[in-house]
Amino acid sequence: MIRTAIHTARETGDIKLFIRGIPNSYAQVFFSDNRVFAIILVAVTFIDLYGGIMGLLSVITTNLTGFLLGFDRRTISKGLYGFNSLLVGLALGVYFAPGGLLIMIVVLAAILTLLVSVSMQGVIGKYALPFLSIPFLISVWIMTLATREYTALGVSERGIYTFNDLYMIGGSSLVQLYEWWNALSIAQSIRIYLISLGAILFQYNILSGILLAIGLFCYSRISFILSLFGFYTAFVFYELIGASISELSYSYIGFNYILTAIAVGGFFIIPSRRSYLWVLILIPMVALVTVSLTSIFNILGLPIYSLPFNIVVLLFLYALKFRIKPSEKLSEVYIQQNSPEKNLYSFHNHLIRFHHSDKEPVRLPFLGKWTVSQGHEGEYTHKDDYRHAWDFIITDLEGKQFSGKGDYPGDYFCFDKPVLAPADGTVEYITDNIEDNIIGEVNIKENWGNTVIIRHDDSLFTSLSHLKKESIPVNVGERVKAGDIIGRCGNSGRSPYPHLHFQVQETPYIGSPTLDYPVSYYVLTHKDRFSLCSFDRPGKDELVSNIETNDLLHDAFHFIPGRKFFFEVVDNGHSGRVQWEVQTDPFNNTFIRCLKTKSTAWFTNDGNLLYFTHYEGDKKALLYYFFLAAFKVQQGYYQDMVLKDRYPLNLLYRPPLLTLQDIIAPFWKFLSSEFELRYVTIDNEMSPTEITLESSACNVLMGGELKRLDFIISVNEKGIKQLDVNGARFNIKAKCTDC
Amino acid sequence: MEKKQFERPYIKKLQAGMPSKFGMKSKPEPITHIDDNSVADLIGEFGSPLFVISEKTIRETYKKAHHAFATRYPKVQFAWSYKTNYLDAVCRIFHQEGSWAEVVSGFEYDKALANGVKGSQIIFNGPDKNDEDLKKAVGNDSLIHIDHFDEMYSILALSEKLGKKPKVAIRVNMDTGVYPMWDRFGFNYENGDAWDAINRIMINEKLELVGLHAHIGTYMMSADSYKIAAGKLADLAHGVEKKYGIHIRYIDMGGGFASRNTLKGAYYPGTDTTPSFEEYAEAISSALLNSELDPRKLPTLILETGRALIDDAGWLLGTVIANKRLSSGNRATIVDVGVNLMFTSFFYEHEVYPAAPVSEHLEETTLYGPLCMNIDVLREAIAFPLLKKGDHFVIKRIGAYNMTQWMQFITLRPNVVLIDLEGKSHIIRKQETIENITQQEVLPAYLA
Repeated sequence: MIRTAIHTARETGDIKLFIRGIPNSYAQVFFSDNRVFAIILVAVTFIDLYGGIMGLLSVITTNLTGFLLGFDRRTISKGLYGFNSLLVGLALGVYFAPGGLLIMIVVLAAILTLLVSVSMQGVIGKYALPFLSIPFLISVWIMTLATREYTALGVSERGIYTFNDLYMIGGSSLVQLYEWWNALSIAQSIRIYLISLGAILFQYNILSGILLAIGLFCYSRISFILSLFGFYTAFVFYELIGASISELSYSYIGFNYILTAIAVGGFFIIPSRRSYLWVLILIPMVALVTVSLTSIFNILGLPIYSLPFNIVVLLFLYALKFRIKPSEKLSEVYIQQNSPEKNLYSFHNHLIRFHHSDKEPVRLPFLGKWTVSQGHEGEYTHKDDYRHAWDFIITDLEGKQFSGKGDYPGDYFCFDKPVLAPADGTVEYITDNIEDNIIGEVNIKENWGNTVIIRHDDSLFTSLSHLKKESIPVNVGERVKAGDIIGRCGNSGRSPYPHLHFQVQETPYIGSPTLDYPVSYYVLTHKDRFSLCSFDRPGKDELVSNIETNDLLHDAFHFIPGRKFFFEVVDNGHSGRVQWEVQTDPFNNTFIRCLKTKSTAWFTNDGNLLYFTHYEGDKKALLYYFFLAAFKVQQGYYQDMVLKDRYPLNLLYRPPLLTLQDIIAPFWKFLSSEFELRYVTIDNEMSPTEITLESSACNVLMGGELKRLDFIISVNEKGIKQLDVNGARFNIKAKCTDC
Repeated sequence: MEKKQFERPYIKKLQAGMPSKFGMKSKPEPITHIDDNSVADLIGEFGSPLFVISEKTIRETYKKAHHAFATRYPKVQFAWSYKTNYLDAVCRIFHQEGSWAEVVSGFEYDKALANGVKGSQIIFNGPDKNDEDLKKAVGNDSLIHIDHFDEMYSILALSEKLGKKPKVAIRVNMDTGVYPMWDRFGFNYENGDAWDAINRIMINEKLELVGLHAHIGTYMMSADSYKIAAGKLADLAHGVEKKYGIHIRYIDMGGGFASRNTLKGAYYPGTDTTPSFEEYAEAISSALLNSELDPRKLPTLILETGRALIDDAGWLLGTVIANKRLSSGNRATIVDVGVNLMFTSFFYEHEVYPAAPVSEHLEETTLYGPLCMNIDVLREAIAFPLLKKGDHFVIKRIGAYNMTQWMQFITLRPNVVLIDLEGKSHIIRKQETIENITQQEVLPAYLA
């Protein structure tokens, strides 16, 4: 069975996932997936040789059992089942003398921990809560209570006779080193901090603490700072209430504070002023829970380990889910990238770029360029309940809205012009038989005039009013698509001159209050300059139109899964070949993968705009430059239109500047990296065969330019034709070929 | 007090205060200035006769026309009809305003290129495009409007030779309810020729069908005809999309909009009967928007209006040579402007105005040109004030065709002056000299 399992595993790439699962199980103790950190952690566990071996055995047992039972391989590979078993294995390995019996116990404990982990996932996972180290607690308590009965299992004395152990591992030199470490004149608080850190892995010594602190810093600056912040908050709290600091040092349960600070301050919550503030509030709470629970657990003779951390963090995370409106200032992490920095940077980037992503797109309800004659909070009728509505008219270059004397509706440019459905939906209501007014008169009895109301969603309706009499070609119950003609602009109802009244509302009735809802995309024309507005509200007197998609751009940036790209690359004189493939995952995320470097660039495309959202992998790969170059592309050609955006900082900066930024990122960002794209040339407006776009990625430090990359993307009917990258010291030319 | 001008006495039946069916008789208001330049000064500086073009009027008319369409249809593109007036200065004003170029010969094509028009923004019309012209057009990615099958064969042959896929449109003629029907250009809609041409293009795959073009006639006094034509072209475009799944990029409605000149034989003056840009635009855009075409993917509307855009911007200034009485007793005035410069006088009743204030007395007069030919008649009968030898007059609305169809007959063509937006005048075409003409001549050695 195992042989066939190994065989299929080899075929499906599971071996890779399994191997990756081992270091991740270590790093996951600190919520990390950082390799360097994992290696340090492994090394630290092996300071106690047998403990280390038992830990490793435990991880391997859990992950292997998980694979064989057919649990989610990605979860295993991330180390999410393994880290609890690691802790159980370490605990057992440190407390009991090595031997065949211990190995058996550890294997059983590892499997038990796996079962508890999976069950916990089932029980609290549905509330979208992490099980933290609860499986460890349950298993280790069960094992502790049970093993009291097993007299054959000798209690280890290693933890007590440290010098003996060290001598066994590294001879006298290691003992001397250890002595030297301990003799270092370190403030007591730091000593306790370091030992607490080591205690997480059952290593009650300063060396472990220092190694872990370094590893933690390498993995995440924010986590490192938070660990100090959490610890010292507790330290100060103990001083304030007059409790003995030795209590903190004795059990070394200081790690509860450290883990709570990391979890609440930066890992499950986007690091921010508020999250740090909550660390300040929650740490004393952990201290209280620790004291109260210790008194209960003492009766059972059980150590409480990380129980206070688990209780407080889970309580807080669960309570947060009941907030009516998720706050941007204290936001939970929705896409966990296993790094507070990455979470923070992409969250902020996401806020700037996709604050609207949950909104159903609503377009402008007309063809061509119209002018807003009354916007939101308008001066005439858009007040109170109706303040989020728009009136649109057509004006000429001088701003006039009619020709001749303007005595008749027909003199007005907008009169009788098609009115379009703003989004897909079902016609909910129409009136079609109200006379168009004589210019200057208003019909107050039938205020809204001829109107079409369309249902887009259970609580999203659009209403188009003052339409021309008998101009509505659709019926109630009819399905309409965005852009279908649903009537003609008229002058009925409370309309002294022809105009189109457009509003979004939550209820399907004529005269329902308006809803503050943005127009998804529109082009603003100002003195022959075009600018793109996304999820914005057209303002008074603005000249606006829908984006008109250019087929060539649309096709070139429409990456269908399965599409392959082949590039011939000349990189500073060296030529080579690159192959990409567009792929999709089970969660419907689409991405381009470079087959050579295995780099991945994630993107979304909503039909109007292509957005690259994330990049992972080699930052020298062509795909990285393409990711930067086409970070945001609008698919209509508007001469000289400029699109701007911002990259997540961690994708463009490197240490040491980034390290510095990481530390203070929850409070202040002094770095920024800016994207700009311009529509430069089109060879034929009518039926283009080649379009060139120029873009740039620019790192900016307090207004000064640090580094700049320029890109030229040319596009033809086959798709992306060429990508040129120009940096300060290099240039790359990549030509797309057929195979 | 200024000395009053002498007018010779004459006898006329008294019609005191009696309105005719057109209302009270009107006194011709003199045109003393063109864009703040006095007519007398212009003639003094540049000679007589003199063509004057107003940049201000060109730009204003263009904006008016563009606006009429752009406020009614979302994608509008004008293409300047070179044959109407291809003086470079005039063309460049239109190009500056955003017009593309519409040309009907290799000569015009080269002129458009020389005026800096991008190849892809030149529309190549007309029945006579030789292989050299076509080669250029294909190479420059211009839009070629196919007039007949023989032309299609030439383009097919060329596309193979050049290894390029030319962008073409077909010219469609159709019954739009006007008589006579223009069916000499392009392929007929009703008898299926148009579909025949489309099918051949689509099946062949060597040409890219980007547009459909119709030029239903010239000086169309009825906007409704355009409505019919636009509807038929939209049907055709929709049919192509349904049948071949390709999206027609543009519908070209040609030109043919009337200026406000009065046609010979017309009962009412052109100023009262010519449809406005608004009416043409309304007819065309409503037909397109009401058609089966998908409003999300509307084709661009191209207009090749020439006459209606430039006629008003041109004036011809002239001088009276002599007055005489004909045997019938009718008065005749001979002026220095003849049909050599005024080709359009064959079909318009041009409006002629004195260049200085005159009395209200008018006499029916025949205006003769200076040519020694019987056909040289500017107006058979015009109620004209009593101008003397040496007096100046102004002919209004002559910007279209006259500066392209004029003749060098027994004399030389005069200066053409452009008045810019600040009122400054610039010669844009110099008066011809005898050398201009004779330099083209070659004298065989034995006659030298």
